[in-house]
Amino acid sequence: MKILVVDDDLPIQRLYKEELIEEGYEVVVAANGVEAMAMFESENPDLVTLDIRLPDVDGIQLLRQMKEKRPKIPIIMSTAYDYRDDFSVWASEAYIVKSSDLGELKSMIKTLLVKK
Amino acid sequence: MDHSLVAEIKENLESIIESFPDSIVTFDLNGIVTSWNKGAEEMYGFSKEEAMGRFLPFVPGFLVDAEREKIVRIRNGEVFKDYETIRQNKDGAILDASLTISPLKDTGGRIVGGICISRDISDKKRIEKELVRRNQELSRLFFISSAMRGTLKLDRLLRMILTAVTMSDGLGFNRAILFLVDENKDSLRGAMGVGPASTEEAFQIWSRLSLEQKTFTDIIRDIETGPLRKDSFLDKLCLSIEIPLSEETILTKTVKEKKSFYVQDVKGEPLSDFVLTQQLGTQAYAVAPLISRDRVIGIIWVDNHFNRRPIFEEDMRFLSAFSNQVASVVESARLFEQVALAEQEMKNIFDSISDMVFSSTKDYVVTKINRAVSERLGKPPEEIIGKKCYEVFHGRNEPRRKCPHHKTVKTEKAYVGELDEPYLRGTFLTSSSPIFDGTGEFIGTVHVARDITEIKKLQQQLVMAQRMAALGEVAARVAHDIRNPLVSIGGFAKRLEKSLEGNLKDYAGIIAREVAVLEKILSEILSYIREVGLEKRIVNIDYLVEEATAVMKSELDEKKITLVKSLNTSLDVLVDPGSVREALLNILSNAIHAIGNNGTITVKTSFEKDYAVIEIQDTGCGISEEILPFIFDPFFTTKGSGNTGLGLTITHKMIEKHHGRIEIESKPHKGSTFKVFLPLKSEE
Repeated sequence: MKILVVDDDLPIQRLYKEELIEEGYEVVVAANGVEAMAMFESENPDLVTLDIRLPDVDGIQLLRQMKEKRPKIPIIMSTAYDYRDDFSVWASEAYIVKSSDLGELKSMIKTLLVKK
Repeated sequence: MDHSLVAEIKENLESIIESFPDSIVTFDLNGIVTSWNKGAEEMYGFSKEEAMGRFLPFVPGFLVDAEREKIVRIRNGEVFKDYETIRQNKDGAILDASLTISPLKDTGGRIVGGICISRDISDKKRIEKELVRRNQELSRLFFISSAMRGTLKLDRLLRMILTAVTMSDGLGFNRAILFLVDENKDSLRGAMGVGPASTEEAFQIWSRLSLEQKTFTDIIRDIETGPLRKDSFLDKLCLSIEIPLSEETILTKTVKEKKSFYVQDVKGEPLSDFVLTQQLGTQAYAVAPLISRDRVIGIIWVDNHFNRRPIFEEDMRFLSAFSNQVASVVESARLFEQVALAEQEMKNIFDSISDMVFSSTKDYVVTKINRAVSERLGKPPEEIIGKKCYEVFHGRNEPRRKCPHHKTVKTEKAYVGELDEPYLRGTFLTSSSPIFDGTGEFIGTVHVARDITEIKKLQQQLVMAQRMAALGEVAARVAHDIRNPLVSIGGFAKRLEKSLEGNLKDYAGIIAREVAVLEKILSEILSYIREVGLEKRIVNIDYLVEEATAVMKSELDEKKITLVKSLNTSLDVLVDPGSVREALLNILSNAIHAIGNNGTITVKTSFEKDYAVIEIQDTGCGISEEILPFIFDPFFTTKGSGNTGLGLTITHKMIEKHHGRIEIESKPHKGSTFKVFLPLKSEE
């Protein structure tokens, strides 16, 4: 299973990557919107974790673009700030506030990939 | 005995009886008259022919039963000697009579009837009464007027006056009406009337009401609870009487000429007032003016309707003297009443002001307060008035330097300012104005204080909310800048912990746990800030719909779509207006898209059970059954590129968040109806 991790914070990107690889996933990463869309098309991931704040494009924008291309792809919004009351994130499958404890993220990924 | 002698004696006796000046009447045991002499004819007005063979005609109707009882007692041999009572003559006039009644026996000594000798003592009574009156006139006048001076209640005073006028041993008139001059209307108005409605009532009242041997309180009680009821026929009648002073009548002449009048016979007096002759049936009457400080303030009208007693010079003199005595009392009572009324009005206004209003002297003593003061301080007025204002309002032993009253005392100028008063736990907008006495000397202030604690609080909340909204923006950035490094530090510390051994493992573990604590604190702070941002308000549902449709107006006009609105529920809902408006806009935008050009959108508001319902109906293309289940799915769109496909998803989520729901009815080519249900009562 291949996961695309989109985050402009490089240490976090690396943390996610190493932890998810340990869980047995194949992980590709992107640090901005352009990179992310390129990876999304070339790598054809099974799941995406998406930061809302990106340097070039709004994460919501990216969510829409990805869903337009592949409506059924599970996307987890992973953000530093809690936007869960913001209707624009409701289109994603899951929503998580970043934490140093990656347990919740990992179980969320597992659930979504099983459903798939 | 010789028959001729008997006849002679009988004739002599009869002629004695006949020529006797007193009335001598005999009657049988049923009270039927058996003989009636000249004296009786003169005294009672009935001729012998009229009286014979009928029940004693001089007994007033209301005394017939009493009379029959007496006849029973006569049958038993009882004699009544010099017994004083009332009789009635043929014209119905009442006379005072002294009677001697004894049984009449037949030759066998059997009682077969009675003989009644009666004497008209009306004159005697009157003379007696006049004597008493002369003797008592001065003292009684003094008594009445001093009693009256004791009361300033106009209504009570007038009643006292009229009672005095009609009491049998007062002025002794049968009926009296008091009229007062209404200067605004230039007319004479009936103010009060006292007098019985019938002869019978008259008899009862006169026997009960008497000045003699009564204390002041007894008389007052008689007046207030006695037979002279306030709602008597006469009282009611007189209240409806109003005579313009421009009219020329005896009553108005009394006012204009400031003198008394006596009308002996109304038929001979063309200026007699119609009301008096028609409604009161008066035959003869007298009127006296009430003159105070050379002004006629009213008149007293009297008559003797029931006993038909003529009004004598003496009566007129007494009436006038009495009128003069009471006029000034009436006027002061009237003035007092007006002042009291004005004062009451002022007090009502004063008390109905919701701001605290009070006055204090320059020595800081509270002299007057309105109800608001007493309510705000939670103390009765008597615990406030007379105290130092700085004690009651500030809880101090000396004036507050910031207090407007204090400033006014120093400068003798008006002052307005805002004052925080911890003692009253509030903030007040206060103003203080100086009061000067007639000589221009500063004597104190009037102080108005408005409690603005609530307004202040709201203002502060508003400022807070604005600050929080700004803070929300900052928070998102701060979160990013702080949480991201924390996540990395904590995340990698955890990884270190996994791969290290011994002390180093522990160190990494400590870092990881401490970071977790920091993350938790950060989350708490951020969630607090977030909560302030989204707030539900009570909004009128019609207003929300109006707002949403107004946004769409230009697009509707452009596409020639008619908008029909039926908004008349005036229902309030507790919602976040922004998100509900957004939801409605999405539905409206879909409706416009479904119609394209030329069509109608109908928007209705109503309510069903506990929900406010917004119905948006379009005449557009409709939604086919196959795609209907998917229309709320994210990114589902039929509108082609340029559309997010999120519109209805967002709408759906928003309404769900408000504990509402959306229902759709649609037929291809006919159009769609979206019904948005929002709960009327908040579940929060």
